[in-house]
Parts: sequence; structure tokens; C-alpha cells
Amino acid sequence: MRRDVVYGAKCTSCEAVSYPAHAVCPNCRGESFEAVEIGGAGKLLTYTDVYALAIDYETRYLRLAIVELEDGRRVTGQLLDDDPKLGKAVKTTIGVVREQGGREILGLQFVPA
Amino acid sequence: MNPVYVAGAGMTNFGRSEWSLIKLASVASLSALHHANLGEIPIDAVVVANMGAARINHQTALGSALVDQLALYPAAAEAVENGPASGASAVKVGVQAIAAGMADAVLVTGVERMRVVNGLEGTDFVASLSHPEAEYIYGVTLPSLAGMFARLVMDRFGVERKHLAMVAIKNHENGTKNPYAHIQQTVTMEGILTAPEAIVNNPPIAEPLHLFDCCPVSDGAASIVLVSEAIAERLRCPKIRVAGIGQATDTHAVHEREDPTDLKAVRLASQAAFSMAGIGPSDVDVVELHDAFTILEIAESEAAGFFPRGEGHLALERGETRLDGRLPINPSGGLKAKGHPVGATGVAHLVELTWQLRGEATGRQIEDASVGYACNFGGFGNNVVATVLRREA
Amino acid sequence: MAHVSELEASLRPPGMNMPPYPPKAITLASGEVMVVRQVERDEIPILLEAIYPLLWVERDFYDIVAARLFGELLAYKRYRVKDEYVLAGLIDGVLAGMVNGRLVDQKTGMSYHTLTIRRGLRVGSHLFAAKMEYHIEHCGQEEVLIVAESPIGFRRWMIEYPLEKRFEVQHELGGVPSWVLPRQTYYDAKARLVSGRRPVPEDLMRTAEKIVLPEQEMVVRQVAGEKEEKA
Repeated sequence: MRRDVVYGAKCTSCEAVSYPAHAVCPNCRGESFEAVEIGGAGKLLTYTDVYALAIDYETRYLRLAIVELEDGRRVTGQLLDDDPKLGKAVKTTIGVVREQGGREILGLQFVPA
Repeated sequence: MNPVYVAGAGMTNFGRSEWSLIKLASVASLSALHHANLGEIPIDAVVVANMGAARINHQTALGSALVDQLALYPAAAEAVENGPASGASAVKVGVQAIAAGMADAVLVTGVERMRVVNGLEGTDFVASLSHPEAEYIYGVTLPSLAGMFARLVMDRFGVERKHLAMVAIKNHENGTKNPYAHIQQTVTMEGILTAPEAIVNNPPIAEPLHLFDCCPVSDGAASIVLVSEAIAERLRCPKIRVAGIGQATDTHAVHEREDPTDLKAVRLASQAAFSMAGIGPSDVDVVELHDAFTILEIAESEAAGFFPRGEGHLALERGETRLDGRLPINPSGGLKAKGHPVGATGVAHLVELTWQLRGEATGRQIEDASVGYACNFGGFGNNVVATVLRREA
Repeated sequence: MAHVSELEASLRPPGMNMPPYPPKAITLASGEVMVVRQVERDEIPILLEAIYPLLWVERDFYDIVAARLFGELLAYKRYRVKDEYVLAGLIDGVLAGMVNGRLVDQKTGMSYHTLTIRRGLRVGSHLFAAKMEYHIEHCGQEEVLIVAESPIGFRRWMIEYPLEKRFEVQHELGGVPSWVLPRQTYYDAKARLVSGRRPVPEDLMRTAEKIVLPEQEMVVRQVAGEKEEKA
């Protein structure tokens, strides 16, 4: 499993992909999955600039968003866009989203498509 | 199922406390026990509601600790954790014990002592309820989930910032009538929204939510005594029945919700509670909702069934949910002004409703209130417990 | 001006020409209006009386802020600090908070303290901003050196303006390394962080003429944030 890829879970019985992964398929209750890469093109479902940040962040605010991908799946991540609008076309990329105890954590970021 | 009654209710001030976690819990407990006036009747079980003691206060096994403080051994005891819905979940556990005939008198106490850590630690602690890989690592905090929810709801249903401000103004005003409330300060539309100074008075927290859209961080405890019918009759107390209690869950990651503007778990839990009580939303006289963020009061009032979807803000605008309105919501001041010691909130809802139904909510009494409803919102709406209380005599 | 002896004069630092701070009115979240104005030397005793009970409130570093501020206010009153100013926020004439600092030279200001008495209304944020406004806009300075005793409170300003590190410079408060607010950063942040209306209407100004001491019990309660514990 690569560190610079975000994985969802594809049910081997019904082929439904869920993200995040579950132990039981929400669609058919199957219990066997294969890892699939999550990401691609989509549109901005909603976003916020959050100033009430947790530890690990020294920035004034963080721009977070939920994006609806083309295949219907939704993802949460950091939005790198100066001019966000609901419904705007974006695409996913992978970047450093948090630093925990000196370790850089990679995750989903969204940029204008 | 045996009927269950609330025989006593009590709480500490919510706000900033020098008291330890267990002292807060025992003060609230004793207040409820005295109110119930049990005399020789023993407490069979103690249920403690709390979210953060292990992390913030370095203490675990709170059920045992409280039993000891109150010298209630050998009563059964445990702590219940369900995030911000810990309070109502603990009540549910107590109700189930009496309903099943396994106990006759149960003490339920919710407590949280959050202010021993700084704001960053506190925010991070609450954020721990989000999905670890799909949300938390991105810097998601509870306000950010509320902010994203608010933006969508405002866009879809025409809710504006002024409606959010109306919730804050109403609840702050109610709070000044509640001596236990954390915040005793009224605010005005000018001060928090329309004046040029509002940008400094009411800065953004998770846009479109601002400072006065978010409840404070509070210490405090709230407690109720649940009893069987036989005991309620012996005590000759006003019979405040736990008429209905319902719970429902939803997806963990907010982005996996079927409709991210729909508080489905609130709706399902409320329907279950009303169904058990054999009544509907139109029978309710007084409501306590979970306004950790002002937008949630509006959204919950709809999902619970009091107003049609997308019209909660219109009812608010018409003044229907004020103390003197047709359906008062949050006479206690809500989480916004009363405060939100996380584990205590769900129990505090029922303390307020009990006082209201007994005619003891001095200064903010809703006349002739005989049916009350409360909604305790866990996670970010993925675990909700709804309760209906009804005065029988 | 009273006749000042030669010896006394030798103990007084020579002053720069400091412009007066033009008062402004700020509507707070409660709808109340706070007047921010400069404090004269003969008004210092009231400020001292107001902060005296805070000398023993450990919470939020109030004790050390109050103690240091007490000394600075006295020094201002008795002409023992060069180019110090004191600003106060008054609500219906009642003291809601105070800030102080001094001008090191034409270019550089030194921020001292911010003490809020009336909490929950962002009085501290407004007064701190007023201080920065004074240094940069009214005194025309290039930058203001800042430190703070409370780490969490400070972090907010550090991130909000944002402030820059100037760790090689010793701040006068305990020799700790300084942070700085440069002029341009102030202007970039101004729309977000600085507010208030000028001039203050006459009748409002009249309410702010005489500083009224807040109720002592209220002060400690507001500051310490405690209510009488109830059961």
C-alpha cells in the first residue's frame, strides 16, 4: 500500500466502493474487499474556513471541503483554491495535510480542475 | 416495559469551576437526590455520563468513583460514553434498567470538566469523535463539520446569518433568566452582525459560523433520579414520566451521509421516542435542543418534526420559539448560553424539562407545560438520543 | 505646569512629542458602546484601585499582568518612564479594560500590557488593536515590539495579525525575545481587527469624562470567571 495514495474499499461481491473503508459492505453486507485508489475529478459540495484549529496547526485558518467525485463517492480534504464556490469543478491531489510529532501525513487536497 | 419516572433533578452552575470532576458530579447528584427526597429508599444503580475524563482529567471508572463519593455502595455503577450524547445515553441505560424490572431507583449524573486544558487541547479532544483517517487527519474539528453543514443548509434552504444570530440572541436572553447558565450576557443583532464592529465582536470560527454561533466550553454536572412507578407513588412526587426514548445512528464520516443536509438520525430517534410515548411533535409544550452551533437548533427543530424541512428558520423569525412563543425552544438558554460540559448536557436537558414540567423553572417558566422533548446530538449527528417527558399528575 | 525642581527634572526622562489618542466609540456584542480614550496622569489612581484585587488572581496570568501593569501605571503617573501612554475602554464610564505601552523612538513602539476587566465581549481584542492603531497610525511608527505573559492568549495575536519573530531583540518586559507587528501587516489586518467610530458623539463622550471604578466583587468574578458555586 502506497503512502501517497488514499484508498477506498471495493466490495468483491457487489463491487460497490466505499470510502472510508468499512469491515462490512454497507451495500450488500459482504466482508471481503480490495483496496482501490480514491480520487480524481469532482465538484465542491461544501467548504469552510476553520479558525478553531486543533493542535499541530499554526496557520490562521484551514480551508476544508467535501467534494463529490465523478463516480458519486464523496471525500473530505483540504481545499487549495482562492475562489471557492459551491459546485465548482475540482480535482484531487495528494499533499501534506498534517504534521504529527514531526511526521508528515499525506492526504487528499483539492485544486481547481 | 415498566413505566419510569423522574423523581428529582439537580445541577451545578455551568461555567468555569475550581471543583474537581468528581466533586462536580457529587454536588449535582446530591442536589437531585435531595430534590427526590428518597428517604430510606435505596439507589440500586448509578450511571455516569462523561466523554473526556480519561484524556482530560486522567481519571477512569467514574461510575465506581461516584458511588464511593456518595457512599452508595454496593449499588451497581458504570460510566457511559457516547460523545456529546453521553448524557441521554446514560439516561437511556438507567431507564432500561427500571423498565426491565432490574432496578427501582437509578441515579444518572452527567459531568465534564473541560477547562483544565487549554482551547487547543479541548478542540482536539472533541475532534477525536470524527473519523480518524477520513476526517481527523485533515484538521477536521467539530466546528468545521458544523461550518460545512451550515453552508450547505444556508445555500439550499435560504437560511441567512441573521437567522443564526436570532438563535444566539434568543438563547442568550433566556440564559440570563437561568442562574445556572454559563453565559449571563445578552447580545444584540447590531453587536454581533450589523454594526461594522461586528467583525471584531463576532469573528469567524468555521465560516459561515462565527464566535456567537458556537457554544462555550464549560465545566459542570447535571443529575436526575429515575424511579419505578411504585416508588414514584410512595414519594408522592409530581409524576414526570419518561414517556419515550429513541436512538438512531448514521454514518461516521459526514461525507458518507445519504443527504449531508439531512439530520436523519435526529428524525429517526425522534420518531422512535414519539412512537413510544404515543404522541406527536404537536403535543409538545417545551423543547430543549442541542445547539452546540446555532445552525443545529434550526436544523434539529425540523428533523425532530416541529417544523417542515427548510422552514425552521421561518418559525424562528416569527418568534415562535421564544419563551413567549408558541413552541419555546431552549428556555434554559440552550448550549449556547447555558453552556456545554459535554457529558452533562444530555442530562441537563432533562433537568430543565423536569423543572419546567413541575412548574419549578423560576424566571423562565413555560406556563402549563406538560410535555417536553429533548434531543442530544452525538458525534456530528451520527448518534442521536431523543427523549419525551410527560407530566402525568 | 507645576514648578519642577532640577533634581526631579533630572530623574524625568525627556519626552518625545506624543500626539494625543483621538477617542473612538465601539459597539460591543452586547449592544453596549465602549469609548476608548487616553488616560491622564491624575486618573491613574482609579486604574490602580481597579486592578489591585487582581494581584492575587493566578488564573490566566492575571496576577503577573496586574502586578507589572500596576508598576507601569505608577511609573507613568510619576514621570519615571519615557513616553508611556495608557488607553482605557469605558462602558457608561465604567472601566472595562486598559492597555499601555511606550514609544522607544520615532520608529519603534514597545507594547506593554492588555488587561480586560469586562470579559466575554472581546474588549481585550479591541483595546489591543487600539494600541497598535495608536503606534502605527497616530504616532507614525514603523513597528511595534510585543510579548505576552499568557501563552494561549498570545498565540491568538501571533497567528491573527500575524506577528513576526524578532527574537534577537530583548523586550523590556523581563528580557524575553520579542515579536513584532510591522506597519504593513497592521494595514493588511486593519479591516479585520481594528474598528470603532470617530469622532465620539458629544453626549457619549460626556459619559466617559470621569472614569468609574467597576464593582470590585464583579471584577474578580468577571476575571476569574467564577460564579458563586451553586447546588
